[in-house]
Amino acid sequence: MKKAIWIFALIALFFLGDRVGGFILKSLTEKSQFRYSRLYEQQIDADILLVGNSRGLMFFQPHIEEKTSRSTFNLSYNGMPIDLAEALVGDYLEKNKAPELMLLDVTMCDRINNQLTTEFNTYTPYSSRLRNLIRDTSITISNATILSHLYRYNSEVFQRSLTYLNKSDEDWLLDRRILQNIADDAVNYPEYNIDIPDMAMPALNRIIQTAKSKGVKVKLVINPYFPDFADRIMNLEAFKSTVEKATGEQVHNYAKSVTDIDGFGDYQHLNKSGARLYIDELIKDGIFGSLEAQETMHLK
Amino acid sequence: MIFNSIAFLVFIGIFLPIYFNLKERGQIWLCLVGSYFFYGWWDWRFLSLIMFSTCIDYFVGLKMENENEQASRKRLLIISMVVNLGFLAFFKYFNFFIGSFDAAMKSVGVDVGYNTLNIVLPVGISFYTFQSMSYTIDVYFKKIKVEKDFVKFATFISFFPQLVAGPIVRAIDFLPQFSAGARKFNWDRITSGLGQMLWGFFKKVAVADSLAPFVDQCFAAPDGFSSLHLIIGIVFYSFQIYCDFSGYSDIAIGLARILGFDFPDNFKTPYFSRNFSEFWTRWHISLSSWLRDYLYIPLGGNRGGGFGSYFFTAIALIIPVFLSGWYWLILVYGVVFFFIFRFAKKDIRNKVEVFTYMNLVITMFLGGLWHGASWAFAVWGYLHGTYLIVQRLIGPYYKKLVQTLRIPRPIVVAGDIAMVYFFTCLAWVYFRAPDFDIANQFIMGIASFEGMSFGSIINKFMVAKGVILIATLLFVEIADFKFDFSSLIKTNPVFRVISFAAILWVIAFFGSFGANSFIYFQF
Repeated sequence: MKKAIWIFALIALFFLGDRVGGFILKSLTEKSQFRYSRLYEQQIDADILLVGNSRGLMFFQPHIEEKTSRSTFNLSYNGMPIDLAEALVGDYLEKNKAPELMLLDVTMCDRINNQLTTEFNTYTPYSSRLRNLIRDTSITISNATILSHLYRYNSEVFQRSLTYLNKSDEDWLLDRRILQNIADDAVNYPEYNIDIPDMAMPALNRIIQTAKSKGVKVKLVINPYFPDFADRIMNLEAFKSTVEKATGEQVHNYAKSVTDIDGFGDYQHLNKSGARLYIDELIKDGIFGSLEAQETMHLK
Repeated sequence: MIFNSIAFLVFIGIFLPIYFNLKERGQIWLCLVGSYFFYGWWDWRFLSLIMFSTCIDYFVGLKMENENEQASRKRLLIISMVVNLGFLAFFKYFNFFIGSFDAAMKSVGVDVGYNTLNIVLPVGISFYTFQSMSYTIDVYFKKIKVEKDFVKFATFISFFPQLVAGPIVRAIDFLPQFSAGARKFNWDRITSGLGQMLWGFFKKVAVADSLAPFVDQCFAAPDGFSSLHLIIGIVFYSFQIYCDFSGYSDIAIGLARILGFDFPDNFKTPYFSRNFSEFWTRWHISLSSWLRDYLYIPLGGNRGGGFGSYFFTAIALIIPVFLSGWYWLILVYGVVFFFIFRFAKKDIRNKVEVFTYMNLVITMFLGGLWHGASWAFAVWGYLHGTYLIVQRLIGPYYKKLVQTLRIPRPIVVAGDIAMVYFFTCLAWVYFRAPDFDIANQFIMGIASFEGMSFGSIINKFMVAKGVILIATLLFVEIADFKFDFSSLIKTNPVFRVISFAAILWVIAFFGSFGANSFIYFQF
């Protein structure tokens, strides 16, 4: 009898602590200023929606907002695959006012990232799209989330939401300069090709169609790479053509648009100063639309 | 099958209820069948290897008992050694030997053109081979009685909780436990075993597997990271390997306890060691004590040496010369040994001391190679051998210095622990790096002190999580040392429930559930 009580007490205590802990962590997530917490907890009224993986963070919001006087919302996350982006963009467009423009870095179509997808467990209480995606990705993880609520918060995504508990995440971007030896060695980097998983083009197409159906203009870009590194990507042009053919949209190629080494954090990422140069380039090319009126407004 | 997998949960869920409802004989049979199933789950073809080793050592043992003539007993021991070490040599070291020989020959301009073979390393072969050899050696020296019951002997060799990654349990400790009668469902044993298993899972699933991605990143291309990043990388690796391996040992020991068997500890907070001799009495104790008893002491230990000491020292020192192509090392060896022999000639105590150094280097060198067929492991062994020698050389002077300067004891203790940890980490770089170039890059990267700001760290979230987990681990280990948690778990049901639930919460919140394999499986 004592043994049965012992076992019952252990199970009861585990679930009690798990649920209480889960509730506290859920409350913290909801209070966070992290982008996905805001996506699910607040009404967002952004003019420009920015989408990408870690390279999408180069869409440096403070600079875009300063230069265009338009509000932005960035859905990008390190290593984000396009199927996850599809769920998040879908939720964004469903819950919020449609933006004027969606700017998407298409190099995020290069991967499947099931691990990251399951890390978005943290936000499953608010999104049936995420729940379904995670269930399709790993039924075990989906079930584990039901069993343990603490497990839902066992992710870097949650840790980031804690980091941005009381501060904005809009300037989330590398602030370091690439090490000189790494920069010098870029020419020796092995040649490689961008792979496109089977699911990528259909998912990208669905994102574009959903956005267009809400009246959102869609612009596709290839964000900058470290110039010598960009030369090691053997199929960049072919990749661009594939995306254009699959979507019927023009892809603006900015892969080699930033040449200042000080503007890079590593081969694939601009730092803040590089991002400013890149955004200026986008503005100059009219990617954000005609800016004359806005600049005047900004000067006022 | 690995402990941190669903397959194992199902296996043990079926195994335990049957086990506790059988009589003694049935339980031993079930352990044997279960062990073969557990091992065969990974690759059934290698079951024949275990079975063959088992049969050889079983019959060698029986035959030895009936032989009174020392020469015949020795022959039998040699047969067992040749078979066991032959399997190990072929499956683990064949490509290494061939490759090293080929490289050595090429370095002197001879191209022998030997090809390596595509050999799969049977998981756990180093562990069960050493376990099996300890039996025949102990029988030869008449330290233990021969086990006549084949089923018990086969279960001793293949016992699934510790089959693939230890601890290496000696026959003298293990075999008598088979005759202790049927194992009843013992609540105290189950709760204490479960506690140790849970703690092992925490170490493996929460700590080791959470640190692994950061460490992998650092060792993949160290020249891409700042000094601080690499320092954190090696600190994380030191805890990753400790938690991975000691976590496995905890699970194995806890599981064995549930099944009614007591195994000795394999780790005792090794990073709190104050010197390297102490480190080796706290780290992988079952291997270090095996090497001490079956290699270091037979070589002469700290009492002298003979042909074996000369022979193995020569091998340990000469082969790297050919492989590295650093022939100038021969000149260095010549000069060093000239002075060593002069020193040894002066006094018999000096001679004994020199033999002790040789035996230490040989033991640590072979201990390094036991881990894997690579010169990086040998370097790791050399480094630890060197540490032990330097410690013997300067130890007395260091003690005198501390006494003379009257340095407060807490500072001395902290300094000793920090020093041992620092040099242990240095050796870990060679243990973990895929090759020497990467290892050297790693060390040079740290030594450059380029990028010591927190901003130079690439994945701060992994660092934050790692630091929290390591702090939790150290806190519990220190608290356990002070308050003896194991006893509290046995005696205090409230403490037991709370601590078990707390470990489960931490695993749920921090655990990495990718069913990652244990590092020591590769050895």
